[in-house]
Amino acid sequence: MLNKILPEKIAKIIGAKVNMKYVNELRFRADKPIILSVNGKNYFLGENGLTSSLKEALFSSKIVIEDIVFRASECSIYSVNEQIKRGYIVTDSGLRLGIGGNVVEENGQVKTITNFCSLNIRIPHNIKNCSLSCFDQIVHDKTIENTLIISPPGCGKTTFLKDFIFQLSEHNLTHNVLLLDERGELDIDLNANFYDKIAFSSKKMGFENGIRALSPDLIVTDEIGQEEDADAILYASTCGVKILASAHADSIETLIKKDFFQILLKEKIFRRYVLLSKRNGPGTNEGIYNENLSRIMAF
Amino acid sequence: MRYLLIVVLFLLSVFVGFIFFNKFAKRKKFFSALIMLAEKLSVDINFSRERLKVLIENFDKSTKQNLLGVDEGFLNYLDKKVELDEKEIFKSASLLKKEEKEFVLLFLKTLGRSDVENQTKEIASFLKRFEDMGAKCNAEYKKYGTLSLKLGVICGLFFAVVLF
Repeated sequence: MLNKILPEKIAKIIGAKVNMKYVNELRFRADKPIILSVNGKNYFLGENGLTSSLKEALFSSKIVIEDIVFRASECSIYSVNEQIKRGYIVTDSGLRLGIGGNVVEENGQVKTITNFCSLNIRIPHNIKNCSLSCFDQIVHDKTIENTLIISPPGCGKTTFLKDFIFQLSEHNLTHNVLLLDERGELDIDLNANFYDKIAFSSKKMGFENGIRALSPDLIVTDEIGQEEDADAILYASTCGVKILASAHADSIETLIKKDFFQILLKEKIFRRYVLLSKRNGPGTNEGIYNENLSRIMAF
Repeated sequence: MRYLLIVVLFLLSVFVGFIFFNKFAKRKKFFSALIMLAEKLSVDINFSRERLKVLIENFDKSTKQNLLGVDEGFLNYLDKKVELDEKEIFKSASLLKKEEKEFVLLFLKTLGRSDVENQTKEIASFLKRFEDMGAKCNAEYKKYGTLSLKLGVICGLFFAVVLF
């Protein structure tokens, strides 16, 4: 899937000399070395694959970055401009490219990003059974508890969500799951039978339309972080729909301090919190917490 | 034998005239098709925001035939099979002049590189130039295209009279 978007030379080296199974991220910065994050550790990309030596590193350029973005948009930047405005592109194969560049604003609103100068390509992985250790804490007597998965970026929140949906199918739990997928990456290679999807919609619109139109039992959504997201979750919980969501935070303490979270905490909307980290590689499970934020399971 | 030679020479002259006539006709049709493609891209990019590859693939087949293979070359570039250069794009478009090739190539190079608003503006500015080029080709076709065909017939008749 990288062949389609990377320059031929780089794609050849990665294809022949790098085991992509362990690669989490590729970083391109203008006139800087190309970096690969492998199991949470950074390496340079050289002619012979991974290297720790800067002398052997291959360097990226602005032209390379622009070409990758162009290819990732299937040679049609205009078709993904709404995503670019939010700072990323998701390809059909599920690669998410975070983009850095000059933001063009008009009337206080982001119009586009130009002069791309850095790029972070995140490689999705399906880690089978990665949510299994938490499954019994989240699902009781076929009822799903509202759960929030928390971790810093790149620690496996999306992978956890995808595996959890897969586990529901594996456990023959025929809940109607609605994927509220703002970035269009949740259902890539998702092997589950009972899910619907609303993609590229805001949380507010997605929750309202999804509940009304698709009558889900469970809504799964990635990366909540704004007050309107919290309002949408409150609305869903009053409709009797269960929620599985993720949010950025490196600890429960940090999460508590976030503004958007106050109302959700006060109402005790979430009854389970799963904390992930990169301590032993992405997806390290640090514990499960209950609605009072007391740890009920350590790993 | 002499009659056969007269017929062959006549047909040969008409054929040469037709080749020139055809050249002017193809150039005229090329720019007409290119204008239609640019107009379609402008509308569809605004309306459906569909990917370039899909838009070009879905372009009217009969009109596409007049694009002298430029569309296929560009699709190959989109598929990462070839580079976007004159050699690859204009393989079957030797009828075009150098400056025309350069301009069409510049047009193709700008496609897909910006947001809807700017892309539409860029296409509009290229469209204007294409229309000028198309009008020029149309005038050439009317002036020289029919002239070459007539000259072919006249030459053929001349040979026939001389040899008779």
